[in-house]
Amino acid sequence: MNLPERTAHLVHRALRRYHDHAEANALLGRQLARFDEPLRLAVVGPGRSGKSTLVNALVGAQVAPLESGGTAVPCWYRAGSPPRVTLYPAGAPPREYPAERAERGLATDLGDLPGTEAQHAAVDWPSRSLQELTVLDAPAAGDHASEQRLTAHTADADAALCLVPDPHRATTASTAPLRELHQHPIAAAAPVHTLTVLSRADELGACRVDALISARQIARKYRHTAGAGELSQDTIAVAALAGEAARTIDDTEFGALTALASVPKDDLATQLISVDRFADAELRSPVAPGMRHALLLRFGLFGLRLATTLIRQGATTMPTLAAQIAQRSGISDLREAIRQHFVDRAGVLKARAALIVLDKLLRSVPNAGARELHDELDSIVAGAHELAELRLLSGLATGRVTLPDELGDEAARLAGANGTRAAARLNLDRDYPPGSPPYREALFGALWRWRAYAESPVLDNAQRHAARLVVRSCEELAR
Amino acid sequence: MTASWLSLLDEAIKECTARDRPDLGWRLRHRRHQLGRGKLRVVVLGERGQGKSQLVNALLNAPVCAVGDELTTRAPAVIEHNATPAAEIVSAGGHAHALESANRAAERTETPVESATARANSVARGDSGPVRAQIGLPAPLLADGLTLVDTPGIAGPDSPSTAAALSEVFAADAVLIASDATAELSETELDLLTRISTMCAAVMIAFTKIDIVPRWRDVLSADRARLAQLGIPATVVPVSAAVRMAAARSGDTVLNGDSGFETLLARLRSDWINHAEQLNRRSAATLTGMALEQLSTPLREELTATRQADSGPAVARWRALGRELEEVQRRSARVQTVLADEVADLTSDVEYDLRDRTRQILQRADEYFDEADPEKSWHEFEAWLTDNLAAAADANITWLWERFDGVAGKVAHMLSPADAELLATLPATEPLPEPDTRVRMPAFERFGAAAKLFVGIRGSYGGLLMVGLASTLVDMPLINPLSIAAGAAFGIKAVFEERAARLKRRQASAKTAAQRHVDGFFLTYSKETKDLARLLQRALRDHISEWSEQRRAELTAEAKSVKETIDADSARRTRRERELTAALQRINTLHARVRSVSADASRGSPLGLTA
Repeated sequence: MNLPERTAHLVHRALRRYHDHAEANALLGRQLARFDEPLRLAVVGPGRSGKSTLVNALVGAQVAPLESGGTAVPCWYRAGSPPRVTLYPAGAPPREYPAERAERGLATDLGDLPGTEAQHAAVDWPSRSLQELTVLDAPAAGDHASEQRLTAHTADADAALCLVPDPHRATTASTAPLRELHQHPIAAAAPVHTLTVLSRADELGACRVDALISARQIARKYRHTAGAGELSQDTIAVAALAGEAARTIDDTEFGALTALASVPKDDLATQLISVDRFADAELRSPVAPGMRHALLLRFGLFGLRLATTLIRQGATTMPTLAAQIAQRSGISDLREAIRQHFVDRAGVLKARAALIVLDKLLRSVPNAGARELHDELDSIVAGAHELAELRLLSGLATGRVTLPDELGDEAARLAGANGTRAAARLNLDRDYPPGSPPYREALFGALWRWRAYAESPVLDNAQRHAARLVVRSCEELAR
Repeated sequence: MTASWLSLLDEAIKECTARDRPDLGWRLRHRRHQLGRGKLRVVVLGERGQGKSQLVNALLNAPVCAVGDELTTRAPAVIEHNATPAAEIVSAGGHAHALESANRAAERTETPVESATARANSVARGDSGPVRAQIGLPAPLLADGLTLVDTPGIAGPDSPSTAAALSEVFAADAVLIASDATAELSETELDLLTRISTMCAAVMIAFTKIDIVPRWRDVLSADRARLAQLGIPATVVPVSAAVRMAAARSGDTVLNGDSGFETLLARLRSDWINHAEQLNRRSAATLTGMALEQLSTPLREELTATRQADSGPAVARWRALGRELEEVQRRSARVQTVLADEVADLTSDVEYDLRDRTRQILQRADEYFDEADPEKSWHEFEAWLTDNLAAAADANITWLWERFDGVAGKVAHMLSPADAELLATLPATEPLPEPDTRVRMPAFERFGAAAKLFVGIRGSYGGLLMVGLASTLVDMPLINPLSIAAGAAFGIKAVFEERAARLKRRQASAKTAAQRHVDGFFLTYSKETKDLARLLQRALRDHISEWSEQRRAELTAEAKSVKETIDADSARRTRRERELTAALQRINTLHARVRSVSADASRGSPLGLTA
């Protein structure tokens, strides 16, 4: 049995043990339901770090933030049609609010709700991106009170994006959410469920067209930051504002951008020298001042410089432009990373989240069988090779673990970097049945070689440890 | 005015050297060196990545400092006016205050101006101690007497980089803080501002990067509100280095105006450069005040401590020693009495024990001789008696030793629980002489054949006569078989009776002999044990007296030395108090003069107090 199956089995047993405890029952039921739902991804970070912007960029519509009386309400965005807002106040039945699809996103009015502290909302939104992801726009991290709220809201998440607006400023607010997410011993032992996002990559490179190149360089270094980058599976630089704009661009905006791109290159560069100059009403430009101001707020200086450059370079249709901005703003990298680290491993991550919830339940609600269940939980966690495999993959990808020559690539492939199916792991041209000669040849060849590496005196301790993990992956295939 | 200033500084430097604070001395000397040149030193501070180096470049309109997207500035750069561009890299080269002394021990390397900061940064990246770039430029702003210092970014409120930045502030006349428009003032920046505004009144904030943030005006007003709320009197000037650079390239004056640098430069001139003399004086006053404060704080603390101190522990020790001496005397007297009592008890107990043991032996000897014939079993008896007496003596003496051991332990404990082990060791004595246990055998009269015959004949006479006379009545002769038989029977009986009587006599005399022997043994042996007890008592008594005497001598000696220390200490304290008061008086006077001059300086204009 793999980790998700073992976990589900354990949750079923816990359900039988706790059949007379309504609260525990509901909690365990949710854990089982988790396995049939899309992956739940929380977007966390300090205030003004671009959480809502990034949520919009991921959803592909302007749905966040969901505000009530000027304060953002923590909100889950899930696939569903028609658009609908459900509010879950603390200690009261959920309430539904009318919502509709506006020009670029969600239009709703929650009015001025009292006591926004203790409630959260869920938005049903028809989007293809939400088919495999449910996204949480988490409350801002920072002070102590908000940390507790954050924990309460992220307890349901399978994975998280931790936003760091400025990696140069090592503030506690920017690393607090990451540490918070790794507080449970199981989470700390297998840090596989977070990605760090440098969410204001454009500002890191002074909003130049090539800002993302600098930002990626900074992200590469940030991966090795103790206590921050090292806890994450990967660190990715994203210009969230441009990314959001790319995914929500409309014809009017595209028209305005095309008109801007027709201005001679040097003139446009001068006009785009600063936000003030570009928004200046006196400026001679084919685009009206109001529209220019709107474009600035939507795309940012980086987005405008990038979009006009791309149009001039030949991205003359809206889809091509959107795709290229998405590419150059890092949002494509982020989606790819989410796919590789989270969606492809959804089962393992869900099992991990369910195990943590179960562990907390067994500790807080004593029961005659709790001890036995807890022992089994410990054995599942200790033997969870899937978690170690994910950590190895991230180590190889970020350079925290290095193997000589082509061994790194092979290790990553065997650990499932190209796909978790046996054929992908063993680099076979098609799916052979497990007992067949080509399968056996590839598998046992790899197994024997990696066993040798695991004991090779040429490799250092960390490398031999990595080799042992690869051996274990091969052994799983041989079962 | 300036001269009086410098003399004040000189006095402060002298004071630092006198008070053994060369670090402060170096700092002041460094500052004095700078002040002597009449420059206005402006330090550019800020968190990492706020565009400090870019700000310096834009102020000078020249790419002097290396800039980049990643952390670039690692070493401070000092930019001054010079007729021709020149640059050098100054490194401390292992000398602690080399950079502060400004012109000695430091190692200097000439280098092209364009790459000076880049080279200094790469040197600083290595592990070669403090380093900075020293650059001279013929820029108009610098010609007005300004010195700009670009610094590495600050990491957090408690990091070493913050401490380094604050130490730069001490050597500066004014502080220009770079904070970018992408975020409101962070906790680190506010902390820095709060600390600086208490040290240096001339603070200005350059609100950088306004070219890339559409909503920078919102951030600016939020920042100004926060500063007003915290009561920090700092001007905030929004600027864009990128726009200024672009304006310089294209020669566009409108664009240059947009960059905000004209405003910033105007503020620098009106607020700072035009009041350079006052700022100089005030910053030097702050630095001198700080140095004097640092000098006087330990002195004040020491003075308080000296006044409060009364050689407390020493006096307490002295009193304790006196008490202990009395205690030792009292105890040793009491212990001697206890010892005498205990030994008297012990002697009587031991004697009774010996008496009891010998009595039991005698009892058993009596019982033995009730049955046995001493003549036959005397040797056996003698061995038994010897053994038993020896055993009794042994048990008795062992008991005596044990009891004495107990007594010794008891009195030792009473005398001094700490030294009990040592005291309780009993003195060694001569072993007791082996008691004389040989028993003299009493003379037993022999009952030989002749005696038996005689007794038999004497006994048979009666029987023969009695039966012979009776038989004459029947006309039988006096001597007839019957009378002979009766005579024989009577003779045999008489022999037997005599033998029994003799045995009784022998037993009685054996018992007497045993009794006498045991009595003798008891007498000798009890005398010896008594002697031993007395010997031990005497030894122990002497031992205790000796110990007490020694202890008394020790205590007296220590008390004497403690008393001497107390006297010396109090004398030294009085002397030290006088010294400290004098030194503090001197520093305070100096401080007051510094303050009065600094007050003169700030009366001129409300520097930096406009927001």
